[in-house]
Amino acid sequence: MSESMRPTPEAEHLHQELSAVWGNSPGWRGRLSVVNHSTLGLRFMFTGLVFFLLGGVLAMLIRTQLALPDQAFMSPEIYAQVTTMHGTVMMFLFAIPMLEGLAIYLIPKMIGARDLACPRLTAFGYWCYLFGGIILFASLLLEMAPDSGWFMYTPLSSSEYAPGPGSDFWLLGITFVEISALSAGVELTVSILRTRAPGMALHRMPLFAWYILAMALMIVVGFPPLILGSVLLELERAAGMPFFTVAGGGDPILWQHLFWLFGHPEVYIIFLPAAGIVSTLIPVFAGRPIVGYGWVVAAIVITGFISFGLWVHHMFTVGIPQLAQAFFSAASMLVAVPTAIQVFVWLATLWLGRPRMTLPMLWVTGFLVIFVCGGLTGVMLALVPFNWQVHDTHFVVAHLHYVLVGGMFFPLLAGAYYWLPLVTGRMPSEPLGRLGFWLTFLGFNLTFLIMHWTGLLGMPRRVYTYDSAMGWDLYNLISSIGGFMMAAGIAAVLVDLVLHGRYGRRAPPNPWGADTLEWSLAMPPASYNFASLPRVESRHPLWESPSLGEEIARGEHARPGAAHGRRELFGSEALTGRVRQVIHLPGNSLLPLYAALCLAVVCVSLLTRLYPLALLGLAGAGVLLLRWSWENGGHSRAAPLRHDEPEDPPLHSRTADGPGRWTMGVALLADGAFFLSLLFGWFYLWTVSPEWQMPARSPLSLPLLLASGAALTLGSLWLERRVAALRRGREVGLTLALGGIAALGGLHVALLVLVLMVAGLSPTATAHDATLLVGLAYLLAHGGLATVLAALQAWRAGLGLVGARLPFEPGVVALLWRYQVGVYWILVAAIALLPRLTGAGP
Amino acid sequence: MGGVPLSEGRGGRRVNPGPPRRARLEGAGGALAVALTMGLAGCSGSHSILAPAGPAARDVAWLWWGMLIGFGLVFLAVVGLWLAAFRPRDRAEPGPGQERRLGLGWILGGGILLPGVSILVLLAFGVPTGQRLLPLPLPGGEAPRVIEVTGHQWWWEVRYPDEAGEVVTANHLVMPAGEPVDFHVIGADVIHAFWVPRLGGKIDMIPGRINRIRLEADAPGVFGAQCAEYCGVQHAHMQLHLEAVPPEDFEAWLAARRGPPPAPADEHALARDTFTEQCASCHRVAGLSQGDVGPDLTDIGARATLGAGTLAMEKGAIARWLAEHQRLKPGNRMPAHDHLAPEALEALGAWLETLRP
Amino acid sequence: MTPLRRWLAPSHPVQLLLGLTLWSLWFVLLYAGLSVACELAPPSPGQGALTGINAWLAVLTLAILALLGWLAWRGLAVGRASVGRPRFIALVGAGLHLYSAAGVAFVGLPLVALPPCL
Repeated sequence: MSESMRPTPEAEHLHQELSAVWGNSPGWRGRLSVVNHSTLGLRFMFTGLVFFLLGGVLAMLIRTQLALPDQAFMSPEIYAQVTTMHGTVMMFLFAIPMLEGLAIYLIPKMIGARDLACPRLTAFGYWCYLFGGIILFASLLLEMAPDSGWFMYTPLSSSEYAPGPGSDFWLLGITFVEISALSAGVELTVSILRTRAPGMALHRMPLFAWYILAMALMIVVGFPPLILGSVLLELERAAGMPFFTVAGGGDPILWQHLFWLFGHPEVYIIFLPAAGIVSTLIPVFAGRPIVGYGWVVAAIVITGFISFGLWVHHMFTVGIPQLAQAFFSAASMLVAVPTAIQVFVWLATLWLGRPRMTLPMLWVTGFLVIFVCGGLTGVMLALVPFNWQVHDTHFVVAHLHYVLVGGMFFPLLAGAYYWLPLVTGRMPSEPLGRLGFWLTFLGFNLTFLIMHWTGLLGMPRRVYTYDSAMGWDLYNLISSIGGFMMAAGIAAVLVDLVLHGRYGRRAPPNPWGADTLEWSLAMPPASYNFASLPRVESRHPLWESPSLGEEIARGEHARPGAAHGRRELFGSEALTGRVRQVIHLPGNSLLPLYAALCLAVVCVSLLTRLYPLALLGLAGAGVLLLRWSWENGGHSRAAPLRHDEPEDPPLHSRTADGPGRWTMGVALLADGAFFLSLLFGWFYLWTVSPEWQMPARSPLSLPLLLASGAALTLGSLWLERRVAALRRGREVGLTLALGGIAALGGLHVALLVLVLMVAGLSPTATAHDATLLVGLAYLLAHGGLATVLAALQAWRAGLGLVGARLPFEPGVVALLWRYQVGVYWILVAAIALLPRLTGAGP
Repeated sequence: MGGVPLSEGRGGRRVNPGPPRRARLEGAGGALAVALTMGLAGCSGSHSILAPAGPAARDVAWLWWGMLIGFGLVFLAVVGLWLAAFRPRDRAEPGPGQERRLGLGWILGGGILLPGVSILVLLAFGVPTGQRLLPLPLPGGEAPRVIEVTGHQWWWEVRYPDEAGEVVTANHLVMPAGEPVDFHVIGADVIHAFWVPRLGGKIDMIPGRINRIRLEADAPGVFGAQCAEYCGVQHAHMQLHLEAVPPEDFEAWLAARRGPPPAPADEHALARDTFTEQCASCHRVAGLSQGDVGPDLTDIGARATLGAGTLAMEKGAIARWLAEHQRLKPGNRMPAHDHLAPEALEALGAWLETLRP
Repeated sequence: MTPLRRWLAPSHPVQLLLGLTLWSLWFVLLYAGLSVACELAPPSPGQGALTGINAWLAVLTLAILALLGWLAWRGLAVGRASVGRPRFIALVGAGLHLYSAAGVAFVGLPLVALPPCL
């Protein structure tokens, strides 16, 4: 810790007091119960680094195999596993979690908060990532790794052509890891919108926060299609439901749609935070504010949206009508505009400032060179006729590495070198860092620039061998040499990182002369980040008042210390940054670990086909998560009602609008994306699948469906009325009313079960019945959850944990009910009404 | 080839005056120039997109060269501007108003105008090019010849539907040169992709639906074709030998395969018995067996390769294939024949080599 | 003010999402409409681009284009007359509406050239 940051006894006292409340508990138990965002952010990044190195070893194996023609270094089976796992590990276990970790670590520090809004969710996300990653990677050690390519096209990945457990490892492991990504997406969104420093209105937010907000929302909307796809494919593999099998009325192309609906936004989910690093570093090293802040915000929003309209450009060869391809082709080119806006904003900032070529800027420069090249080949690939030629060749392999390594890895290292002094308090070594950069940069270009050419000469991707007569030998050899050179560069960087922690020069405060709040903290930052919470009225707080750090440490800003024993931060208005309430956060907890362990049990028992154990694990996870939600609000382990409570602003659980409401809202957004994907799947199979069979009469009983929906709608309306009354301070008969609402929910679920029983579906025979089953199961799960939560609210009202002084929670549950009413009627219209109206369908 | 131009590229950069760090940063620009140099040297090759032999591939090759030059210039300009910004320079501090105008100029010019114009131009070239590749009705109203290709793990089934009698072959496709041919493709098991790089773009072969692509070869020749969608462990060995021949030769080739199978010679009677016992349930030989699991072998002796491009066809190749196919193409769907005596396999191979119309 | 009217004000942050949401909805309608129309009533390939499907989709495109154009113009006018946060939101919103309009025009362009169902 830098002494200059805490010079006075008051500051030392504050530090003791805050550390006692915010610190991680000691010992092993303490390490497992951490919920602090700094610790967990670093854990995310460290785990991501380990997976990166493992994925890198796989890459080196690939390059060894392809270095010469007709090599027998690896058998074709092993090669297939290695290529599949290289892509999977790099995308799902390295790129996404690494950037999430960076955001989890940095965002609260940048927006002036002491932690993220949902600390236990951070921990849960980390454990899910760790366990999912271990399960997935274990498959490689067991030599039963997935081998159908990292996008797992059906039918190659379905049970007939991939009978081993490899595909199951992929589907279950990835879904597990995606739960982690979704948790991070939800809480980053809520934190950025609701926990910014007082006065930090939307238009004063650091650009990095805008980028992460976009990334988080894109994760929330973009990951559910793949989760749905994975669920359906696993159901097909394990239970024989023919979603992707032509003979049963399914369609293998549906998988491609679901995969790329996720897969293309994924590229931008990876690129946006990296571009956020670039947009943060360039103003610092150019010594001036960014040119065109508003333009960058617009570019971020545009990228976020347009990237969802490009997915078909991965599918230009599947035989979609040319006009539809032209739409996607044009949309793919459109995304070049926001990217160009950002590049020229950066250029303008450099030209209008006085840039310094520091080590982080060297990596940013490497990023620019590589990424511009990859972006330009990306525009080429958007052109349909050209795409038809080079699709699935090494040209595409080269392009995607230019975009992903250039667009993510280089900025990430720029960011690593930039924020390293913050994390460790020491400066990295310049000579070693530069050596690492040049080896990596030159090695990368040697590998992949040549690879464009190999692709143009006709080398398809994912071949384990090639004939010397093809004329690809020399280019492959060069690529392999370059690959090993890049590996040497990364090794040098790693050595630098390790050595600097021990021998690095002590970093002075704010060593780069940066403008954002994280540099006002101690280096390394304390568990609570800010000893007092500053007001921020500028985009560049540290440039405006360089002594901000000392003022914060001395407790000269709002809410210094933690004499009340609660973990507190400000809940601010999303738009203006005006303070609305004080958010009290939960402390260290083992519940996230236990819940994630239960899910790991589910995952492993599904892999080993021990279904009863899987059910047990699921029930365990459910109970633990409900217990987790129980320790909230006025609970004795959260913030029990007291007489000396803050009034202005009040604690969030005493208001109607805490961050939990937003968490529920954003989680429902993800849920809605899942639901829309399901709806898309239904209509897609119905209209496009070659052998779809629509029964002459819908098997679903309409009267029962209407009755069930009526119970649900009534319950929801009743709940809304009680929530409104609670806001006005009326709590008479609350327990009874909530109990009644739960009973209506029970009726809704019971009637839905009856619908299912009467229908007599045969989900293994037709995709139609299988889709109905999944739709009804979706409604049942949500109806069941809504019912249980309403019943728990009744119980809490009885215990005095919900009432006029604690009106918060029923409003959160009401959102779920509202959502269920919406999806219920939409789904009933789609699967029960519409088929009746159109007869047997087209 | 690559080594020489690479060192030339380095030498070329040394001519540039300037600090060494800058020169090294421009490495990528220099390397792009290397790609250009290599372009002139290495376009040929049986699978090269840049050695087009038909109208569709030629259009795309031109698109590529045009885009390479245009985007290459954009790339050099952006990287050059970036590096130039780090040069120490003396200039008066611009006032806030001037700075705003300068910034707006950068953004509007580089961020909006440059990509906007580029993509408009690209679409203006791309859409008509794409349209020319569509299987539209021919001007004369006659339908082009149709060849049906089915992708299997890991071989190609080729059918010539014709009123005069269907001709079936495998891994060896003969087409008439100088006229458009419509390929109707489908996948039998998993998704494959049909791709003849020197003739034009690829199309996926998907179970359950027929895809169509129109290709034309300018002149007779032999072209490599390759499965271009990952289809399992032997994706690498799923190649198709494609020959374009003058139309009259093509008709003759078809007619030869429509005729009755040649009378069996007595010297191969034993091999034929082995075939009937061991192979007939999977392979078809016209007049002898009806198996449809593996490739049709009726004209195997006339094909250029074995195992979909794994081995070149020459004397004794079939016997070698029969003995070693699981070593040559590990994981292929044909069971190993270890239980048969080597002499029996040799006899079988010798007989199969005579199967040519 | 009702929430809806508040959301439609040019300085509300929803304006940052509205333009591209309209673009997305239009894009989905375009793709879905084309797919369903080609499934139900594909025109003969000889007709080229002069089909009912192209015409209907073009009408939809023009309508969205007009709406986005108006929204952009409104945001620009209001933004120039405001200061601080409302100005920021209205101007960035106007830029996004403008971009969405350009996006609609650009993606809709192939409608005049390509036959719908081949």
